[in-house]
Amino acid sequence: MPAAGRTYWLTEPCRIRREDNSIRIERPDGSPVHIPITDIRDLIAFDHIDINTSALSLLSQNGITLHVLDHYGNHAGHFTPAQSMASATVVRRQVDITANPQQRLTISRSIVLATADNLRWSLDTDLLDPALDQLRTALPQCDSNDALMGQEGNLRRTAWAVLDTQLPPWLRLNGRTRRPPTNAGNAFISYLNSLVYARVLTALRSTPLHPAIGFLHSDTDRRRNTLALDLAEPFKPLFAERLLKRAAAQKHLKETDFETDVGRAALSRNGRKKIAALVKEELATTVYHRTLKRQVSYEELIHLEALKIVRLCLEEKTYKPFRPWW
Amino acid sequence: MNPHEPTADPLGGVHIKYLRHCPRQLWLYMRGYRPEANSDLVAFGEVVDATTFTRRRHVDLGEARIDWVTAGAVIHETKSSRTPSPAHEAQVRHYCLLLERRGINIRGGILHYPLIRRTTDVPWNDDARTQAEDTETEAHTVIAAPTPPERLTRSKCRGCSYLDYCWGN
Ligand code: SF4
Repeated sequence: MPAAGRTYWLTEPCRIRREDNSIRIERPDGSPVHIPITDIRDLIAFDHIDINTSALSLLSQNGITLHVLDHYGNHAGHFTPAQSMASATVVRRQVDITANPQQRLTISRSIVLATADNLRWSLDTDLLDPALDQLRTALPQCDSNDALMGQEGNLRRTAWAVLDTQLPPWLRLNGRTRRPPTNAGNAFISYLNSLVYARVLTALRSTPLHPAIGFLHSDTDRRRNTLALDLAEPFKPLFAERLLKRAAAQKHLKETDFETDVGRAALSRNGRKKIAALVKEELATTVYHRTLKRQVSYEELIHLEALKIVRLCLEEKTYKPFRPWW
Repeated sequence: MNPHEPTADPLGGVHIKYLRHCPRQLWLYMRGYRPEANSDLVAFGEVVDATTFTRRRHVDLGEARIDWVTAGAVIHETKSSRTPSPAHEAQVRHYCLLLERRGINIRGGILHYPLIRRTTDVPWNDDARTQAEDTETEAHTVIAAPTPPERLTRSKCRGCSYLDYCWGN
């Protein structure tokens, strides 16, 4: 596991200050919480936070990233330490590999295929099999990332339609919408996808890789960390679609956990807390890893995924995207 | 194959330690993969380091930071480990070599293991010098290789901070 320390999920408005070598979190109600800086791996702000420069410097010195989600669950941005673990040798290789169209396409293709398989795994239904077969036939012919993304889009649309049949009407997606999500289901997916992205970004920061040099996602959009987007892909179904399905089945989420308006939906404060708890629990879930010969958490799986890219860069080991093996 | 070789900079203690532990670790370390920066074990070593001896002077050679050197040019090195190892001695010999190259007339080294209240003498003589030079050459060879050395056997990797990288597939 990379860093010691935990992820802190700030689901309520709070003020963050530095006190010696610890972080003091003050909430409107209740007494402040003190957290030793070494206990923090990263912070995720779901709600308004008020932070000052001395707290930010302490975070920076200790390699801690602060992620900010907007009201609709989109990853609004992050504050990262000035020093990164990136290494010139690795980053140069990363650039070489991503600049080679053939190599890049092969990797992109494998990401799309793994993501599709993982979707199938998460929805656990053979209703998706025809679409998956279609994708398998189409992928080898795709000779650009746009074509690959198009195929992925097709499959996702089918998958969401299938997922809708497993959801109560108020939670159905009825097509994917973002910025803002138009209904509760979409708001849920937005949050979960952003959280997965944040986990990947944090994992990448502990490696010598540069998070902005990726394979599948277009790098013309300079605001995005394309490698983090890429590596998030195979994990999204495991968290987003799968947890949505589970939350619906367990009747864990209520309509009142969302603030829905005409054409837009976001989680309520209570809903955010529920999601944070849900994701925290899921990230801590462990499975047995055959070559590491120990239990690893889902969170660690994300870290191991980042290390696969390091292996690709340093040793030219073929990147095999994550697939659940259990 | 791999056009971006790290240059042959002077080696410090950490390089020798990694070479002795596992050449692959040294190769990876030189290419900027350094998971140990986040490892609890390393943090623990630093705590022992910071609390055990208070009246000491670090000697900073740039490439190596030597714990302290006492009168008569004896090199001291403190270890948080409970088990003395040949790797530790190799590290001290390397420091002797570095200081000797700067014209210091070295007498020898002493390894301190405060957790088990033991010290080990590391003599400095022609034999030791040859050993130190061989180790240095060996390290440069490993570092310059285009591909990483093979993994150790799984059981020897226990406790290594590179384990997730080497075995995580
Ligand atoms: S995990 Fe094993 S093979 Fe890898 S660097 Fe450590 S000791 Fe060497």
